[in-house]
Amino acid sequence: MTPEEQPIKPSPPVEIASGPPSRALDPVLAALDPDRARPAHVMESKALKLSFGAKTILDDIEMRFTRGTITALIGPTGSGKSTFLRTLNRMNDKVVGFSHQGDVTLDNQSIWEPNQDLLTLRRRVGMLFQRPNPFPMSIGDNVVAGVKAHRIAKGKQLDVVAERRLREVGLWDAVKDRLGDSPFRLSGGQQQLLCLARALAVGPEVLLLDEPTSALDPISTEMVEGLVRELTPALTIIIVTHNLGQARRVSDGTMFFYDGKLIEHGTTSQMFDDPRCEQTQNYVTGRMG
Amino acid sequence: MVAAPLPRTRHRRAFDILFRLGTYVALLLVIGPAAWILIGVVARAVPHWQWKVLTTPTHGTSGGLENAIIGTLVLMAGVFIIAGTIGVFAGIHLAELARPRRNGKESGGLLRTASDVLSGFPSIVLGYVGYVALVVGLHWGFSLLPALIILSIMVIPYIAKSTESALRQVPTGYREGAEALGMSTGYSLRKVVLKSALPGIVTGLLLALAIACGETAPLIYTAGWTDAVPNLQLTGSHGFAYLTYPIFTFYNQPGQQAHDLAYDAALILVVIVLILLVTSRIIVARTQRHADR
Repeated sequence: MTPEEQPIKPSPPVEIASGPPSRALDPVLAALDPDRARPAHVMESKALKLSFGAKTILDDIEMRFTRGTITALIGPTGSGKSTFLRTLNRMNDKVVGFSHQGDVTLDNQSIWEPNQDLLTLRRRVGMLFQRPNPFPMSIGDNVVAGVKAHRIAKGKQLDVVAERRLREVGLWDAVKDRLGDSPFRLSGGQQQLLCLARALAVGPEVLLLDEPTSALDPISTEMVEGLVRELTPALTIIIVTHNLGQARRVSDGTMFFYDGKLIEHGTTSQMFDDPRCEQTQNYVTGRMG
Repeated sequence: MVAAPLPRTRHRRAFDILFRLGTYVALLLVIGPAAWILIGVVARAVPHWQWKVLTTPTHGTSGGLENAIIGTLVLMAGVFIIAGTIGVFAGIHLAELARPRRNGKESGGLLRTASDVLSGFPSIVLGYVGYVALVVGLHWGFSLLPALIILSIMVIPYIAKSTESALRQVPTGYREGAEALGMSTGYSLRKVVLKSALPGIVTGLLLALAIACGETAPLIYTAGWTDAVPNLQLTGSHGFAYLTYPIFTFYNQPGQQAHDLAYDAALILVVIVLILLVTSRIIVARTQRHADR
């Protein structure tokens, strides 16, 4: 029985489709799974309330992200979905007036715990931005920029890492003869793939995508979407998107934000075909933007 | 059918032409004096130019300018090291490390105020302070160290300010990208941010060096003058030669030789500044091969 066929008689909070199906069903595979000792929920948000100064941006967000799944964050502009995403790797900490209540955990450990190393956290929880942001260095150096920073590899190994990651994102053939060139001569889509390769190179467990295709053309968008699907179940992916079609195509689970609140979450098919809340219904059918 | 022109179209066109004219006039007003000075210096220095000026020290108001050239180069190197280091670090502090306060006010208030106050001082005042405090007060005499200190104090605000504004113009995407990869602030600053801010920082340093080598007032009070070729003795050397002194002093002396030397010194200064310019362009071009511009 695949997750899609599971009868959903929801009583909140619902679980998003639980990981790769084989693991849940086959006891032999489950025993071989190197992740078996780790919590099934790689990240959790527990009653998270977040404010900038006196303004409350997020209120009471309760969510669990299952390892190896893709979760889409949808909602109108200003609903707090991007802020939520950026909180997961603590990109908001330095915003003036930032304060939070509740907690976010990575493998059951709070991301704000004093012995949680911020740099390691960000290595484990990578991020891809709306606009491609390659660094002002050569294409090859861009891919291994994070690898060098974390001293994961050095010398000749760096070339191997660069080639592997560029192959992984399907950019190798296009750039193999000009690794020393400026990345800004690549097309927007290629730049975004380069940034994806750079993010993957440090070996993250969770990848946060903040509208990764909104600045790209349709063909590049399709490539990025295809890659995102291939990256699971090795990675857990959380993607903010304004493109409902994209949410539907790539994600296992969907969260709907409105006005700083998590209105509803569930499997993507349930959220789009049979939403429980009227606001969700209005949004996914396009009656509300 | 051609659409009838909208009312006021003529006005707009006239305004457009006036605006363009204005910018051309401004351009001429900038290029004109620069060219005039350049041509004037070259035309007066080249006819009597002798290469031995470069290798003979001054003797009274005749001889060559070896002592002054070496002195100016030493001063520039010293200012580059002292003021460059302090100024760039101050700029980095203002732009990157001084966090905005909770109430949203600008950060680094004390450093910024100190820097602004310093840049507001007339250079002759700084020179006199150097004379009273260092040359006389500390018994250092007219020598290299007091001159270096005063010149550095004078140009540090420029360097700090240009470094700060160069850093503030670095696209947020670079910083965010570096942050999201788990680079520490210092690492991303060194490997990503500074690289993109380099043209601005180099331009600031260049301006500072140009100011330093063209400055006269503070040097008269701190370096004095001597015919001797400078050595690197920091204090107590009874005078230190530099190129602006002959320009300023010899021009008022009787005798063709003195006038010639004044123009030679001016020409050499112009050449030094040109070399500075070209060098900075080359540095910028080499480091910006991968830039987003």
